[in-house]
Amino acid sequence: MTAAAAPATRAPPLAAHLPWYVAATLVAATSAKVGIIWDISWHRSIGRDTFWTPAHAAIYLGGVLAGLACGWLVLRTSFTGTAEQRAATVGFWGFRGPLGAWVCIWGAFAMITSAPFDNWWHNAYGLDVKVLSPPHVILALGIWAIQLGSFFLVLSLQNRSPAERAPRLYGLLAAYVIGILLQNAATIGIEQIGFPNVAHNAVYYEVAAGVVPILLVAGGRAVRLRWPATTAALVYMAFSLVMIWILQLAPATPKLAPVFNPVTHMVPPPFPLLLVIPALAIDLVMRRVGPGRDWLLSALVGLAFLAVFFVTQWFFTEFLLSPHSHNFLFGVDHWDYSSRPGPWRYRFWRAETDPVTPRALVITALLAVLSARLGLGWGNWMARLRR
Amino acid sequence: MKVRGLRLGALVGIALVASAHVGSPDTYFEGAAGAYPVRVIVRNPGVVPGLAQITVRLLAPRAIQRVLVLPVYWDPRTAAPPPPDVAAPVPGDSTLYSAALWLMSAGSYSVRVTVEGDAGTGTTLVPVMAVATRRLALEKSLGAALVALGAFLCVGALTIVGAAVRESGLEPGAEPDRRRTLRSRIAILLGAVVLALALLGGRAWWNAVDAAYRSGLYQPLHATATVRATATGSVLRFAIDDSSWVNRQRQWTPLIPDHGHLMHLFLVRAGGLDAFAHLHPLPLDSTTFETALPPLPAGTYRLYADIVHESGFTQTLVTRADIDAPSTVWHATDPDDAWLAESRQPSAVRHQQVVRLADGSTMTWNRGDAPIVVDRDAPLTFLVQTPDGKPATLEPYMGMAAHAMITRDDGAVFVHLHPAGTISVTAQETFLVRQPGDTVRGELGKRLATMEMGSGERGAVASGEVSFPYAFPQSGHYRLWIQVRHNHRIQTGVFDAEVSSAR
Repeated sequence: MTAAAAPATRAPPLAAHLPWYVAATLVAATSAKVGIIWDISWHRSIGRDTFWTPAHAAIYLGGVLAGLACGWLVLRTSFTGTAEQRAATVGFWGFRGPLGAWVCIWGAFAMITSAPFDNWWHNAYGLDVKVLSPPHVILALGIWAIQLGSFFLVLSLQNRSPAERAPRLYGLLAAYVIGILLQNAATIGIEQIGFPNVAHNAVYYEVAAGVVPILLVAGGRAVRLRWPATTAALVYMAFSLVMIWILQLAPATPKLAPVFNPVTHMVPPPFPLLLVIPALAIDLVMRRVGPGRDWLLSALVGLAFLAVFFVTQWFFTEFLLSPHSHNFLFGVDHWDYSSRPGPWRYRFWRAETDPVTPRALVITALLAVLSARLGLGWGNWMARLRR
Repeated sequence: MKVRGLRLGALVGIALVASAHVGSPDTYFEGAAGAYPVRVIVRNPGVVPGLAQITVRLLAPRAIQRVLVLPVYWDPRTAAPPPPDVAAPVPGDSTLYSAALWLMSAGSYSVRVTVEGDAGTGTTLVPVMAVATRRLALEKSLGAALVALGAFLCVGALTIVGAAVRESGLEPGAEPDRRRTLRSRIAILLGAVVLALALLGGRAWWNAVDAAYRSGLYQPLHATATVRATATGSVLRFAIDDSSWVNRQRQWTPLIPDHGHLMHLFLVRAGGLDAFAHLHPLPLDSTTFETALPPLPAGTYRLYADIVHESGFTQTLVTRADIDAPSTVWHATDPDDAWLAESRQPSAVRHQQVVRLADGSTMTWNRGDAPIVVDRDAPLTFLVQTPDGKPATLEPYMGMAAHAMITRDDGAVFVHLHPAGTISVTAQETFLVRQPGDTVRGELGKRLATMEMGSGERGAVASGEVSFPYAFPQSGHYRLWIQVRHNHRIQTGVFDAEVSSAR
């Protein structure tokens, strides 16, 4: 197995060279993620939208940039590429390109497919009756593909570098993309793991245990940094905080009935999960138990994650519901224009109907271990990615 | 997430039913916003939530600063509207303004139209029904494009999976061995199975959404009608036997009188359209209505019953009834009841522009020479003259200067118009008097009854001329019954119209 963890002492890293197309896909992945968070805030603050809102434009930019950059790369490599350039590619119907480029191109086509489909869907069944619809799923798959493609491109750069001298930039960029992927999980699971009001529910921990370890552990295995999971978690939190701080500054007026909560500024996303603490635990466990004992590692990592995450979130969300957190820094207590203000905002929801029971904790632990094991498998594959 | 013009002219839709009226989903209104006479047209998007297109035409030359439009949902518990939208002037037409209305909930809305200009600020309310009326079919070209893109995505995804397993882990320049190639093929096979399951799941999901949408399409309350002979003549019984009305599961609000009547019932003899009646059955209870049947000729009749709910929601119930033999005696249930059996040949009606009414006066349709075209303003202006050629003074007939009933020969369209348009003036009044505390069913209806509203156009029309704002929704052959009151008698003029498709 190719070593993932970096040795304590090593030669100076090589000078980082970031190819233009990798930079383009990283910008694309970021743009699409910013667009999604912005768009959700738009729907919670203003309500109505058009095809050309700036949030939508940021999403389209992600698709266009990644698609064009990788499309051009593939054409150039296929027809005029040097033998060296072609050697670091995989084949697709006679064309040559890095695996990440193909995934990005696929994502761009998925986004293109979703556009007319979504337009027809609105005409046929109404305007965004539900966020989760088949065309939106295709759009989401396209965005994920662009982010994953960008991840693969960075990892192949990292993995082709000598193990001891891989530029640190590659590891940082790979952790950055994991941070974006964690943002995806937060976006999709906004109802289950987004609002602090649901943090005393079983489903909160079950969903988090299912989706978070797989990403952090895969990063811990594939990304060549001393603290890969911690770095990725920091990126995830920083991404959220920057969006929270910026969005709160932008004026907004609801334009769709009913308006029960007259918001004056863009509603920011919920405060992020304090993932940096369980991620630190993951990194510590993975540094002690190296590759080769993945089932044992999965059990240890899964349980460590759950224990630290549970304690952290259980009490931290109590703080988030208290008046002490109602300020610009934390950006909480901002609600949709269509929600009726009331004391429910400062309470834990469904604590009676979905309590955290011992049985729920056992299920959560199993999910965390399984998620960690899947993360290790995925991470092992990504640690071998060369093209 | 994307919103584009929802009213696409070329949409291949399955047209089902309209809201109030049949096959005529758009709202036409003519009235005054303060000092500004306006004509308002609201195009129903056919889906909810959806974007309705509204146009406001200023009918008198005035210096206008801006025109504001705002849809407000009927229920005070959920109506919390955002600021109004400014309607944009339509380029090339200085009197026309347009905007899009976001109708997010199914039900009754009032669209508040505010005109600001040199005569101050004037406002009027236009009742609009937001109902899903059609399910859009997937056009062949779009379907083919989506299938092609979907196939490309599926094959592309499998190719990427194969390439990932076969080559992505190899050092640059190395060739995949047979083992990797075999594993790649297995991965493609497994990927195909997963993809097939995902596609099947997606198909089931789409079908479920479609089925739920279809079940939510607006249908007027189901009704039946029967005719029975009695010693005092034939009696027509009209029953609303829809389970959602009988059981009140859908929380329909109670009916309120429109022009003093809970129900306006129209009978049209199927086939020849040569017999017509406008009756006002009395309620026996909340579901059953009865009226004495005029001596209409035997035959099968299409029945259209206009009702108004307390919420301002108006609907036209549709059913059929057979009349085996003409009633020999008729004591009108209501003095506003009227009927007509056309004795002329259909060909004689078809090109007639001047008809002689029962009292010897005439009704002339000033239709002009231009063809009548779908979705364009129809020239529905009629002049009633006394036998000596002078303009007849028209008395209010149920609060209105005139009533026009228009149907296509196959019954696919039926609409009941007034000079104020397709709206129910009573529905408009419900919005005018509704207060935030009106959350108890029946309260507003009681208040309306005590306020003796139903004003409409109470004054007589000395010019003898009436007009109706309307555009025919579909092409075909139509019959029009124009009813006015003159010399204390209800007069009905019958006309025909050929409506052609827009080119």
